[in-house]
Amino acid sequence: MANTAELLSFDVATLATKFRARELSPVEVTNAYLERIDQLDEKLRAYITVTADEARATARRAENEIAAGHWRGPFHGVPVALKDLCYTRGLLTTGGSKILAKFVPDFDSTVWARLHTAGAVLLGKLNLHEFACGATNSNSHWGICRNPYNLERIPGGSSGGSGAAIVARLAAATIGTDTGGSIRIPAAFCGCVGMKATYSRVSRHGVMPLADSLDHTGPITRTVRDAALMLSIIAGHDPADVTSSREPVPDYAAALTGDLAGVRVGLIAQLMNGLSDEVAHGFSAAIRQLRAGGAEVAEVALPSLEMASSIATNIMFAEAAEFHEPWMRTRAHEYGADVRRSLEAGMLTPAIYYVRAQRARAALLAEAMGALEKFTVLAAPAAAITAPRIGPNGRAPLGQGGAPVDLLTAVLRFTAPFNVTGQPALAIPTGIAADGLPVSIQIVGKPFDEATVLRVADAYERLRGPLPEPKL
Amino acid sequence: MAQLTAATVRSLALELFDYQFADDAAADSVAHIVGAMASYSRRLHALGLAGLQPPFGYPAMLAEADRIRHNS
Repeated sequence: MANTAELLSFDVATLATKFRARELSPVEVTNAYLERIDQLDEKLRAYITVTADEARATARRAENEIAAGHWRGPFHGVPVALKDLCYTRGLLTTGGSKILAKFVPDFDSTVWARLHTAGAVLLGKLNLHEFACGATNSNSHWGICRNPYNLERIPGGSSGGSGAAIVARLAAATIGTDTGGSIRIPAAFCGCVGMKATYSRVSRHGVMPLADSLDHTGPITRTVRDAALMLSIIAGHDPADVTSSREPVPDYAAALTGDLAGVRVGLIAQLMNGLSDEVAHGFSAAIRQLRAGGAEVAEVALPSLEMASSIATNIMFAEAAEFHEPWMRTRAHEYGADVRRSLEAGMLTPAIYYVRAQRARAALLAEAMGALEKFTVLAAPAAAITAPRIGPNGRAPLGQGGAPVDLLTAVLRFTAPFNVTGQPALAIPTGIAADGLPVSIQIVGKPFDEATVLRVADAYERLRGPLPEPKL
Repeated sequence: MAQLTAATVRSLALELFDYQFADDAAADSVAHIVGAMASYSRRLHALGLAGLQPPFGYPAMLAEADRIRHNS
């Protein structure tokens, strides 16, 4: 029988194999996670709600089904957690807000319905930046979520709880959402894998919107293989989300060959400046490893990308303000100051600017697609910096010398372009920098070619090897 | 950058949305953000946007109408 540390060390792929072979019990693994949450979450604040009783009951059911020969697939009996933006029938779903502090939906988000059908065990609902409208996860209503590698640092956001929970081993896999980088930023700052698939690949039904035309739902996991397994379950058309794609969903795990032969990686020139020493060093090391693994690497220019973060913020603020306007009229004082500021800016964004920003998206995508005629994937750092310090009273995080960090320049500039273009993009850690914090690389592909992004990321992950764990 | 003032955004928010800013600092900050967005928006013309359709698809509208009819 495995000890608790060993139980928590298994990734989803390993758990699946061991559950199916009945070498491990979903009940003992679920109990190990619940015990770990009990021990650590007071300081990490990754969870808003822990569903211990329901988790144990689902784990028991999974164990019985597997014993009876009814194995549902790789997530059967696997303990997962969801960003608290995803509706769960009969369970508190706060959006990280005070406004929805008592909201209990009467239906499941499609993403949870699919994982539930696949037999996943829900450990609980994860902390996030209020209404997903920010990148620090310094949540004034549900607690400041902290980075497992350094508790004085932010985990990134808005899916900060999802990233922190993976790295601290408080869940085997989690779901996040990404409107300007909210899956990839916490993955980069916490040191795990975050996959934003192509826009429309994963249903958004039952996921509270931040900005409908930029919102994505996706996996945050320990390994690329786990992301592939999770995406295979949650991707695909959903009649309840008319924007969801009817493109066939391939077997993503089957694409993970570990082979980089013939792969051409285009380094995005516009995202190579302003990097901290830690990020520059980590990124260079990753490129050397990719080359050593057989990939060809060259720089590629995407000049329009310079405009991407202003396009993204314009659209994001305007669409978010439209959704929140009824509450802003009557309950504005219940929002955190930073979120309220973004919504106020959105309320005063002229329609002309919004439509123009939407129109510009095709120009950016055309440029990226042109580059992808010459390259298999594009790559860039996932952020210019490692996780900054938590700011005072939920204000802007602090960088070198205690100066406030401009997250638009240091982080969103790297991630938001691929919300604007809707391309698949994955963040994967390259290692732990001299400051003790993770550094990540971002791999970007052609629309609906998640398989290639995952293939390159998996091959890189094999070359990189395991990361040192945080000391908690 | 467009020079918006706190007084201007206060007035717009009140007239358009019956909305009051929490304080002067908030209005000042929003004036700055909206001003910056205006400047960036003007720069987008450099991308050559004439003739490009915004991504608001009619198929999505048809599908939503269909969904509404089936759910009602």
